[in-house]
Amino acid sequence: MFDEESDRKTMNTQTPENKNEEPVVLLIDDSIDVHRLLAARLRSEPIQLICASTGADGLEIANQITPAVILLDLDMPEIDGFAVLRQLKDNTDTVEVPVLVLSGLTGTQDKVTAFDLGAVDYITKPFDIIELRVRIRSALKMSNLINMLNKRAQIDGLTGLWNRVYFDQRLEELTTAVSRTNHALSIGVIDLDHFKSINDTYGHPAGDTVIQGLAGILGETCRGTDICCRYGGEEFVILMPDTDPQEAVNLCERIRELLKEKRWSRHPNRVVTASFGVTGVAENVSCSRPASEWLEAADGNLYKAKQGGRDRVEATSIDSGVRLAEAS
Amino acid sequence: MGQDNNPIFSTFADDPEMFELIGLFIVELPDRIETIRQAAQQGENDALKRIAHQLRGAAPSYGFSAIGEAAGRVESTLQQGVGLDQLPDAVDELIALCERATDARAA
Repeated sequence: MFDEESDRKTMNTQTPENKNEEPVVLLIDDSIDVHRLLAARLRSEPIQLICASTGADGLEIANQITPAVILLDLDMPEIDGFAVLRQLKDNTDTVEVPVLVLSGLTGTQDKVTAFDLGAVDYITKPFDIIELRVRIRSALKMSNLINMLNKRAQIDGLTGLWNRVYFDQRLEELTTAVSRTNHALSIGVIDLDHFKSINDTYGHPAGDTVIQGLAGILGETCRGTDICCRYGGEEFVILMPDTDPQEAVNLCERIRELLKEKRWSRHPNRVVTASFGVTGVAENVSCSRPASEWLEAADGNLYKAKQGGRDRVEATSIDSGVRLAEAS
Repeated sequence: MGQDNNPIFSTFADDPEMFELIGLFIVELPDRIETIRQAAQQGENDALKRIAHQLRGAAPSYGFSAIGEAAGRVESTLQQGVGLDQLPDAVDELIALCERATDARAA
């Protein structure tokens, strides 16, 4: 089933993150002595320390707040540190959080296992507090670098298309320019139909192949001036400078047909389709809508396409809101 | 063991950052001594190993290296399962050291 709520949400959330707070360091250790000790010893550090006494609590907190760094004890009852580490690394929200193991286990094999599971550092108890401080700083530095790379990287890993960060930036630039120059501009939002069922039925690798397949079609069909982006999940966006909405509809119709005709080796009998929401402005028409309204208009048309039965293109002129004819 | 009954003091006793914490650690020591004693008497080796493990890791950071070392001996005896006949001595030594740290409060 197409989930209307979640689809609309992904397109409309544009809340900028507030990251001025001190980075959160999460300590997972069953010993209250260690909680107290670190709270006292790290008081002067520009961090916010949160303590968890069990592996289960630690995992829950980590999932909720995605800390900057995790300090993890290995030898804990019930869920031990190795199991916690494994789960942290299996979760996309926490996989990149640097984990610094803080353990009384001094054997080489324990260290090797911890590093193999993805720990970035290993400190044996009893620890030297000065050393611990600098090691936490180093882990925080790593956390910052990872965040920066994630934010700055403009290419989507799975498809090689531009990513959402880049899209947001270019949409802003192009819509601002259009209000000044009266050039044509269109955008198209694409959402794969019933994508969840492809994942559920044929597995995530098959889903990834479909996403890559659509990306390939976009790459072949779009012109040099078009900017193709993976917006997130199974959603794509094309920015089409100097393209009026009717031309944009034609382009989207070509993509829609190519996708529908494509045969997939993992599921030869299952056709994949997508729905399209297009909006744009023709040349010499005055338009000074902010980027968010462009996205909302295109997203609204995508919603109509989904409601109208999917596998179709819905389009309006952003200046008039007038619905456009099908592909000509 | 047992010849020296003088109180032992935390090596971080002069560290303002640690002052309160050491006090708390010492206040809670008698409970721990009791737990160790009971676990040892009732042969609850897993519980004994756990508390020894925690003390080995934490006590040195509170400025009580000797307690950490004694706890380490208890833990490794239980872990390796060899020389278990020496376990009572190791436990006695750990308890004695903890008591001497507790005495430091009165001293």
